[in-house]
Amino acid sequence: MSFLDRDRTIAEPGYSRWLVPPAALAIHMCIGQAYAFSVFNLPMTKLIGITKAAPEDWKATTLAYVFSVAIVLLGLSAAVFGTWLERVGPRMAMFASACCFGGGFVVAALGVQTHQFWLVILGYGVIGGVGLGLGYISPVSTLIKWFPDRPGMATGMAIMGFGAGAMVGSPLAVNLMKYFATPTNLGVAQTMVAMGGIYFVIMMFGVFTVRVVPPGWKPAGWTAPTVHSKLITDAQVTAANAIKTPQFWLLWGVLFLNVSAGIGVLQTASPIIQQVMGVAPAAAAGFVGLLSIFNMLGRFFWSSTSDKIGRKPTYTIYFVLGAILYALIPTAAGAKSVPLFVIVVCVIMTMYGGGFATIPAYLRDLFGTVQVGAIHGRLLTAWSAAGVVGPLLINFMRDYQEERGVPKAQAYNTTMYILAGFLVLGFICNALVSPVDAKYNQPVKDPVPSANPATARAA
Amino acid sequence: MKARIAISWIIVGVPLIWGFSQTVIKSLALFQ
Repeated sequence: MSFLDRDRTIAEPGYSRWLVPPAALAIHMCIGQAYAFSVFNLPMTKLIGITKAAPEDWKATTLAYVFSVAIVLLGLSAAVFGTWLERVGPRMAMFASACCFGGGFVVAALGVQTHQFWLVILGYGVIGGVGLGLGYISPVSTLIKWFPDRPGMATGMAIMGFGAGAMVGSPLAVNLMKYFATPTNLGVAQTMVAMGGIYFVIMMFGVFTVRVVPPGWKPAGWTAPTVHSKLITDAQVTAANAIKTPQFWLLWGVLFLNVSAGIGVLQTASPIIQQVMGVAPAAAAGFVGLLSIFNMLGRFFWSSTSDKIGRKPTYTIYFVLGAILYALIPTAAGAKSVPLFVIVVCVIMTMYGGGFATIPAYLRDLFGTVQVGAIHGRLLTAWSAAGVVGPLLINFMRDYQEERGVPKAQAYNTTMYILAGFLVLGFICNALVSPVDAKYNQPVKDPVPSANPATARAA
Repeated sequence: MKARIAISWIIVGVPLIWGFSQTVIKSLALFQ
C-alpha cells in the first residue's frame, strides 16, 4: 500500500496546483450525495408492498434516522481521525473514505435486500458516515497549503462540491432505480450497489490525483504578506491546543448556530410556500431545487469573497443580513409575495452554504496551517450537533404551537423569529473572536517528512 | 500538464454540469 504513503504523494516537479481542486471535488461531489439520501425514503417505505406500504414496511420516520446517524458519524469521525489524517496525508484518508463510503452503500444494499434495518444503519449511517467525515476533511489542509494566496476560494471550491453532490446523487439514484425496477422489486438495493461502485471509482480519481506540497514551496511570484489583520496568525497551533482556546469554541458556536438556522429554513421553506402561499407541490419541488443551487453557489461566492474582505466581516454579513432576511420571511409570506419570498430564502441559502465553506480558512487564519485539517475535523462536531438539535427544535416548536391551536402561518412566523435569534447569538460569538493567545502557539515540526527540496519544485 | 489539468476538470465537471442541469430543469417548475 506504499502508493498511499505521504512520502509517495509529495508533488513531483512540474505538478500544477490546479490539479488539487478537481481531486478534492471528486471526493466532495461523491460524499455530498448524503444530502440526497431522502430520494430513497419513499421507495424504502414500500419495499415489501411495492405499490403501497405494507404493514411490515419501514416507516418514513424510522428511515430519517439513517441520515441523522450518517451526519453524527461525519462529525465524530472527522474529529477522531483528524490528527491521523495530518500524519498519513490526504491520499490515505481519501482512500479510506472511498472504501467506507462505497462499502457502506453495499452493506446498506444488503440491508435493503434482506429487509434488515440495522444493516442499513450500519452500512450507510455508520460505515458511510465515517467515509463522509474522512472525505470531508481530507482535502482541506492540502488545499490551504497549495493556495496560501486564496485559501477561502480553494476550500470553497471543494466544499461547493459537497453542495453539488445532492444535485448529482438525486437524479442518478432516480434514474438507476427506474432502470433496475421490476414489477416485484423497486431496484433500491441494486441502485445502492451501483452507486457505491460509481462513487468508489470517482473517488479513486481523487486518490490518484492529489499531491501534498513539497517543503518550501510557494506560488510563483507570491510572497506572504508581512502586514495583515491581527486575526491572521503566522504562528502554528496544534489541534490539541486549539480546542483549549475560546476562539475554537466561539467558532463552534458560529457554525452550530448558522447550520441550525439554515436547517430550520430548509425544513420550513417548502411547507410555507405551499401551505401559506398556495404554491402547487410541483412548483414547490422546483423551489427546493433552486435552493440547492443557491446553497452550492454561495459556498464558492462567499468563501472567495472572504479572501478579499476577511473572515470575520464575512460572518458578520451572514449573521446581520441573515437575521434581517429571516425576520423578513413572515412579511413576504403574509403579503403572499412569491418572488420576494423566493429571493429572500435563496439569499439565505447562499449564506448557509457560505458558512460551511468559509470556516476552514477562518481556522487557518486563527490557528495556522500545521493541523488545520484536524482542527476542522473537531469543529465539524458542531454540524453533527446542529443536524440533531436543529430538526428536533423545529419539530418541537411546531408541535408545541399546533397543540395550542396556533394557526399554521403564525406558527411558521414564530419559528422564523426564533431562528433570527439564533443568528443574533451567532453574531455575538463571531464578534467575540479575537487573536489566539500566544501561549497556545507551539513550535511544531512540519508534519511532511523531509524531501529533497531541490527535486520537489512544483509549478 | 495542461492536458492533464483539462482532463481532470472534465472528469469532475461532466457529472457536476449534468447534475446542475437536472436541478435547473426541475427548478423551472417554479416559474411556470
